[in-house]
Amino acid sequence: MTYVLEMKDMSKKYGDFLANDRISIHLKKGEVLAIVGENGAGKTTLMRMLYGLEQPTSGEIVLNGKTVKFSGPLDAIESGIGMVHQHFMLFSDFSVTENIVIGHEPKRNGFFNRKAAAEKVKELSEHYKINVNPLKKAGDCSIGEQQRIEILKVLFQGADIIILDEPTAVLTPLEVEELLKTIQFLAEQGKSIILITHKLPEVMKVADQITVLRNGKVTGNVLKQQTDVEQLATMMVGRELQKLTDRIQLDGDPLLVVENLTIGGKDAKPILDQLSLTVHRGEIVGIAGVSGNGQSELIQAIAGLRKIDSGNVRLGDSSFSGKTVAYRRNAGLAHIPEDRYLWGAAKEASVEETGLMGYYRKRNFNQSSFIKLNAFRKLVRGWIDRFEIKTPSLDEKSGNLSGGNLQKLIVARELGFETDFLIAAEPTRGVDIGAMEYIHEAIIEKRNNGDGILLVSSELSEILTLSDRIAVMYEGKIVDILDRNEATEERLSVLMAGGNENEASTKTTTTA
Amino acid sequence: MTSMELLDLSFFTSAIRMISPILLAALGGALCTRVGIFNVGLEGLILAGAFSAIVGNYFSGSVLVAVLVGALGSVLASLLFGLAAIRFKANPIVAGIAINFLVLGLTTFGLRAIFNVKGAFYDKNMEGLPKLDIPVIEGIPVVGNLLSGHSPLVYIAFLAAIVLYIFFYRTVTGFRVLAVGKNEAAARSLGLKVTLLQYGAIVACGILCGLAGAQLSLGQVTMFTEGMTAGRGFIALVAMMLGQSHPIGIVGSSLLFGLMDALSIRLQGFSMPTQFTAMLPYIITIFAMFFLKDRGADSQLSGQQSSR
Amino acid sequence: MKLQRKLQQLLKSLIQPLMAVLIGLLTGAVAISLVGASVLETYKVMWDGAFGNFYFVTATLARATPIILIGLGLAIAFRAGVFNMGAEGQMVLGAVSAALAALYVPGSGIIKILAALLAGFLAGGLWSLLAGWMETRFKVQLLISTLLLNYVAVLFAGYLVSRPFQDKSGSAALAQTHMIDQVAWLPKLFQGMSVHMGFVIAIVLAVTLYIILRFTSAGYEVRMLGYNPFFAEYGGINKIKVLLFSMFFSGGIAGLAGTVEVLGSQYRYVEGSLTVPGYAWTGLMAALLANSNPLGTAVAAILLAALQTGAMGMERNTEVPLEIASVIQGVLILFVTAKITMNWWKVKKKAGDIHGAA
Repeated sequence: MTYVLEMKDMSKKYGDFLANDRISIHLKKGEVLAIVGENGAGKTTLMRMLYGLEQPTSGEIVLNGKTVKFSGPLDAIESGIGMVHQHFMLFSDFSVTENIVIGHEPKRNGFFNRKAAAEKVKELSEHYKINVNPLKKAGDCSIGEQQRIEILKVLFQGADIIILDEPTAVLTPLEVEELLKTIQFLAEQGKSIILITHKLPEVMKVADQITVLRNGKVTGNVLKQQTDVEQLATMMVGRELQKLTDRIQLDGDPLLVVENLTIGGKDAKPILDQLSLTVHRGEIVGIAGVSGNGQSELIQAIAGLRKIDSGNVRLGDSSFSGKTVAYRRNAGLAHIPEDRYLWGAAKEASVEETGLMGYYRKRNFNQSSFIKLNAFRKLVRGWIDRFEIKTPSLDEKSGNLSGGNLQKLIVARELGFETDFLIAAEPTRGVDIGAMEYIHEAIIEKRNNGDGILLVSSELSEILTLSDRIAVMYEGKIVDILDRNEATEERLSVLMAGGNENEASTKTTTTA
Repeated sequence: MTSMELLDLSFFTSAIRMISPILLAALGGALCTRVGIFNVGLEGLILAGAFSAIVGNYFSGSVLVAVLVGALGSVLASLLFGLAAIRFKANPIVAGIAINFLVLGLTTFGLRAIFNVKGAFYDKNMEGLPKLDIPVIEGIPVVGNLLSGHSPLVYIAFLAAIVLYIFFYRTVTGFRVLAVGKNEAAARSLGLKVTLLQYGAIVACGILCGLAGAQLSLGQVTMFTEGMTAGRGFIALVAMMLGQSHPIGIVGSSLLFGLMDALSIRLQGFSMPTQFTAMLPYIITIFAMFFLKDRGADSQLSGQQSSR
Repeated sequence: MKLQRKLQQLLKSLIQPLMAVLIGLLTGAVAISLVGASVLETYKVMWDGAFGNFYFVTATLARATPIILIGLGLAIAFRAGVFNMGAEGQMVLGAVSAALAALYVPGSGIIKILAALLAGFLAGGLWSLLAGWMETRFKVQLLISTLLLNYVAVLFAGYLVSRPFQDKSGSAALAQTHMIDQVAWLPKLFQGMSVHMGFVIAIVLAVTLYIILRFTSAGYEVRMLGYNPFFAEYGGINKIKVLLFSMFFSGGIAGLAGTVEVLGSQYRYVEGSLTVPGYAWTGLMAALLANSNPLGTAVAAILLAALQTGAMGMERNTEVPLEIASVIQGVLILFVTAKITMNWWKVKKKAGDIHGAA
């Protein structure tokens, strides 16, 4: 059995964090291998090593029987590996042709022969049945077209192994069909494809072999005929349930009402598609879903950080239409952001300053514009004790705290506002078990007090532990809302991956 | 006070001569901008070239060597800039300002250290750049005197614009330089030699600014005066911005600025306020900024990015 | 215990600027020896030129006055995350407005002084606000617009004093306004010495700005905007309002720099008197050296002024030209801004890798 590519026991460590733990994959010529897993499972890290953008801590890459080492993307490209990135690496001002041939430009007498380039691109495009307009500016092309440019680019570079990183995340259903056809055609032409994705229905359509990753390890390796969406979802998501905390039965009034929220959708796939949702007082609504299905945009729209195209958001009696972030926070909104470094803190600011955000305006900490720092410091020290935030002092730069400790600070800050409504996005990302349980307790307590919480998490166990109701988001829509007692991991993971619950089992009993 | 007296031939001739250092430096600046590094140190680079050219001329007696030394001096200064901005990731704006200060001090210092004079150095034995009389063209009535009889560097300036145009839009290396400036991350992911291209652009900028400086100190009167660039480096920067870092655009904007400059001087003789004509290039550029895209400086350099 | 920590942190933040100063002085030493002079003797003369006796000390402080103010104005802009390159133009417009106000506003000396201060502040502030408005409304990059507006401002002021408001009383046609009435002069602090009330204004402003930035909500909003505009927006800060206010005050204080020079030193607006000494560039360096801390900026400004007056002393008494100050300043600023990588790099890398995975 000669494989065109083997990655053997690949490990990658970032400081103390093990992103890839002895992962092995193999790929035959003309085969489509899908690597599936949730965000943070380690898929992208693995591919970055294959493409030469990262160096493995240990492990071996074997190409056509020969061990290779890539010091950079150029090595990988020259060895016939091409990567179509999740976030396109295009030059919007350059033409489609220029984008495809860059790095391997055809020359004539030392000059760039653009005419020959256009001809070659036309040939390539016809041969692989990938449709592009060679003269259009890349920036004017649709997302689907841009992806085709990226694919033609790697083919032009002579790639025999093509890596596609979450290729369908931004495509409309029609464009997805086209892409899957292209993938099959390329495989028939002898190209070997690695498809990184979390979209299981597509995997079942086009993959020959599937490797499942979770938390940096391989949790399963199967052939398509032997499995189905349900089984794959289980392997992707795992079973780690936390012990439940007591909850009081409350039948609260509607608190946050989202109606027909829409973002985008004119020429491209809508980011949010007529989304409606209600969070009641004394309720935790959890949004389950793999990152990238519109959850971030939903949160930003509610918090006031992103413009919407249509629909409205209401908190209690206050309409949020056209209102500023400050207004919304005053109306009773607090927000634990999903990216603590981008939104939740300033790395150069001190711990005290990061904690101060929002409080500096409040009457009990502000006297004729002067901030009552001493009073506030007492508050922060209280947070540090309760949440066990490890920091040498209040003046320590926020960026020097470990991710988990910064997260605890942000959670303490946002809970401290004691608002009616809280958005909690990935609230325990990067946090240790003890703190995670403390934060979960605090969130349940807030719920029991009669406040409403919108929880967004890519950790299914967290959603299941905390939520009263669970809404699953897929491709900008809420595909279903389940009550906590009817939700199981299997049902949720199927919905999260785009399947519907009526998918029949198609696995056979033979093993790989 | 007729318009004939205002715009006679010598007016245009001097305008063309005065444009050339601006044109050369602006082209150099465009190279840096296109590769993604906003170079405000043009002033210092030109001055370095001007001084080095005089030094070269004095010690070798040859104008050709002088010009080469001029280019060399400017290249050294530009390498310092490149090192700071690329290797040490200094803020390019601050690094450029530092270069300006440094060169100003060093050249004045050099006047003292090498020639033992203050203020200016002039030696009547030094030969300046020759005036090239182009055989056929000088015979053409009216235009002939305009186009012929300039120093070689003036012709090189216009030639450089054409060469740069061909470089950017017809060669592979030029294409890659443009790519680096447009999307550095994408360029790296392709395996393009980004750092090499950046240093290359900076060195080329040094050469062009060196020639600009040589034109200043050897082109009309052969002498070096302290701070003789007198803001021309910044005017070149503005010409670059107005010309959108495009070689032909820069020829246009440089011509515009040169004409305005010459006009101001003429108007002084007619006791009209010169400041308003002097202001025009800048006001025009500001208005242009409303309509043009981010050619002057990369969006990552401007607005929300402080040096802290 | 806490004081010790604070001291430790202060020292840490001073390491790079101090290193830069050292390297600057070293380079100066090399240049001096190249001219054939003795390094130690020359530096002693430099010290004397800046601080040798009371006269020179006050001269240094007088020179420092506009530099401090420009530095403070820029410090505000930098703290808010904006690169205001227009300090020179704002200063000049402030100066000429102040001179005209002092000349033509009727009333007692105090009225004239107050009018001049107000006019100077407003002129600089509005000119700066113009660029800020162009950025927020039309996305015209501040860096470029402020640079360009400099020229317009300086040329316009030049026009005002060579035509309509020119002092035609003397025999020579100088580009300057009339001298302002003595009642409108800012008093000197010491008899016979050049340092004037403007210095006090500058120091008071430095302390005030420090307090505002550190202890008030407005200061907090400015600083957070500069640290992370996303964090600021997330927390409810109105980014546009803070940016425009910052630009206005930044330009206003730069305008004050010109104003106090007119009221306390020159007693008229003279074309070129503010641009030739390079106050704006030096002020920029002071702010960069002090990492935009108002108190530090004042100290850095005085240091740079001392460098310049000391160099003038050098020029008078030795063979070394005063431009050595430019050399030292250039090297200094280069080393302040370069991110010299040492042990600190490893710590940064580690923190970056932890959230750079998967």
